[in-house]
Amino acid sequence: MKKTLLSLGVMLVWAGSVFAGVGAETVTMPADVYKAILERLDSLQQRVNDLEQEKTVVQPTREQYDKLSQDVDNIYDTLDEVETKTLQDRINFGAELRTRVDNYSFDNMGTRTDLLTGMESTNDDGHDDNNWSNRFRLNMDAEISNSLSFHGRLAVYKNWGDSDYTESDLYVDINQAHRPGTTSLKLDRAYIDWIPQGIPVPLALTIGRHPSTEGPPFELKENRLRQSTYPALLIDLETDGIVGTIGLEQYTSLKNSAFRLAYGIGYHSDFDNSDSFSFLDDDEAGDSTMFATFLESEMPGLPASLAVLSYIHIDDVPSSFRGPNDDHGNPANVNLGDLDLYGIHLQVDDLKKSGFDLFVSWGASRSDPNGKFATYPGYGDMGLLTADGQDKKSGSSLYAGLRYKLPIEMLNHPKIGFEFNHGSKYWISMGNASNELYNKLATRGDVYEIYYIQPVSRHLFFRTGYTRINYDYTLSGYHTGQPVSTDAELENYYLLMDCRF
Amino acid sequence: MKYRFIGGMVIGFALFPAIFVLADGADLFARKCEFCHRIEGQAAPVNPADKAGIVWVKYFKRGRHPVDLGKILNDEELRSVVLYLQEHAADSDRPAMAAIPN
Ligand code: HEC
Repeated sequence: MKKTLLSLGVMLVWAGSVFAGVGAETVTMPADVYKAILERLDSLQQRVNDLEQEKTVVQPTREQYDKLSQDVDNIYDTLDEVETKTLQDRINFGAELRTRVDNYSFDNMGTRTDLLTGMESTNDDGHDDNNWSNRFRLNMDAEISNSLSFHGRLAVYKNWGDSDYTESDLYVDINQAHRPGTTSLKLDRAYIDWIPQGIPVPLALTIGRHPSTEGPPFELKENRLRQSTYPALLIDLETDGIVGTIGLEQYTSLKNSAFRLAYGIGYHSDFDNSDSFSFLDDDEAGDSTMFATFLESEMPGLPASLAVLSYIHIDDVPSSFRGPNDDHGNPANVNLGDLDLYGIHLQVDDLKKSGFDLFVSWGASRSDPNGKFATYPGYGDMGLLTADGQDKKSGSSLYAGLRYKLPIEMLNHPKIGFEFNHGSKYWISMGNASNELYNKLATRGDVYEIYYIQPVSRHLFFRTGYTRINYDYTLSGYHTGQPVSTDAELENYYLLMDCRF
Repeated sequence: MKYRFIGGMVIGFALFPAIFVLADGADLFARKCEFCHRIEGQAAPVNPADKAGIVWVKYFKRGRHPVDLGKILNDEELRSVVLYLQEHAADSDRPAMAAIPN
């Protein structure tokens, strides 16, 4: 067919030239007609090509066709089931397991009592060479709708061969999931992010038990992404509250810029020792409430950076966050006064693609005591940052460090980090849920830490590190009592394994 | 000690911008993929979190992209984009904090 058409074309062209050449009788063919014939030829040629190609397409037999359409039907049915099941799975689960071995040694510490009071003592060493612990976390999240999401975390944290809870005034509601205890699950966080629609400003409300632990820059050491709304130097607590966040990106053009207002309860005063009406106020210290504002943003020209300005006011700080407890002979809980915290946090991840992550965090604290104090048998008077609660005290802390991702692909890019912090005599913050049991950021003195992270895969890594604390003053991390000079030193070596999936 | 440390940090900050900046997956994604995939672009915006990591790998391995990207990205570049997509995929780690609305 193709050949026939071609020959016809050749003959036509030949014929034309023959007639022209002989000159006897000129067959005039208008150029447009000639062109039309050629075009027609072209399109016929194209049609032939198409027909020839079609021939190579395999036509399924009737049987094959029926089987295929049956298969497609089956696949649709299965997909319907899978889709239904997926939509019914309202919560996505993830898990983490950390096994850690610690070696602690504490020099010139006095007895534990003396660390509290600062009194001289002959019993001045403490150690634990082989402290193993497991921490299991169950992470949950759900995109409930376009404007509503849920996040939660349950945790079990326990020492090996030990399943009791440490009776300490420092192990309380705000760090239940971050201190080793029993095998039971604790609620670390459970909150919703709600972005109400149809209002003129971009507003998010975060309500529940908040993501307020292991905040920036701890994610560097933890080898993960940001874990908290707040910089760790100021707040590292499990908090219940409400945060309103207004997105500022559309007004400032600064990426991830936001203004936040937070409200929370740090201590709820109720009748712990009453059998009935335990929900009523115990008329001792009263509730301690927290109001805070934050301004945060990525810094211009520095992708993956973070700057946070913080101001936190804590009203009516109680002498004990555990509350009165007849079983432990604690005195009545006393409202000691108010506390203000200020902070500036600056952090850049992977600065200019150099592999370096850097941060500097500064915090300041100021107390506003009301002249009251609690008297603990054997410990003496303890007011807000003083014994008698008469004077206002200011403190500050500087925390800086870096992490470097080694360009060794064969070893999965290990990371090394160095951190330093220094806190003054009256420095106090809210870091009671710190990952390290000694709450290094509360230190009134100097802290040096170095660590090495060895990733095995996306889901598994090891970290080993060394922390040294030179305390200058006692009562680091306590908001009560008068700090006095000390030579206490704490050293910690550890190795941990983290599996997250 | 405190001041020496701060001094070191300041010098560090001053030096780093001089370090050569390499084109990486995030960069390629923004320049090449989002050239077509954006609001009112040739195709709807794509987000790494649209698919799980392994699904992204299979998506490109099976040549499922409806437009030939051969002229736009070479093999090496496509590999780093896919790595970036995996790192931010639906099943990757997410930051946790009170949400910031836009
Ligand atoms: C030359 C323009 C162009 C470029 C560059 C491009 N795409 Fe596409 N992409 C398209 C078009 C067109 C479609 C089809 C859109 C449709 O069907 O609505 C598409 C479809 C897709 C889809 C399927 C969309 C869906 O909803 O299923 C994905 C996923 C995708 N592209 C990812 C990418 C990624 C990743 C890159 C960068 C490596 C990329 N594309 C680069 C033009 C482009």
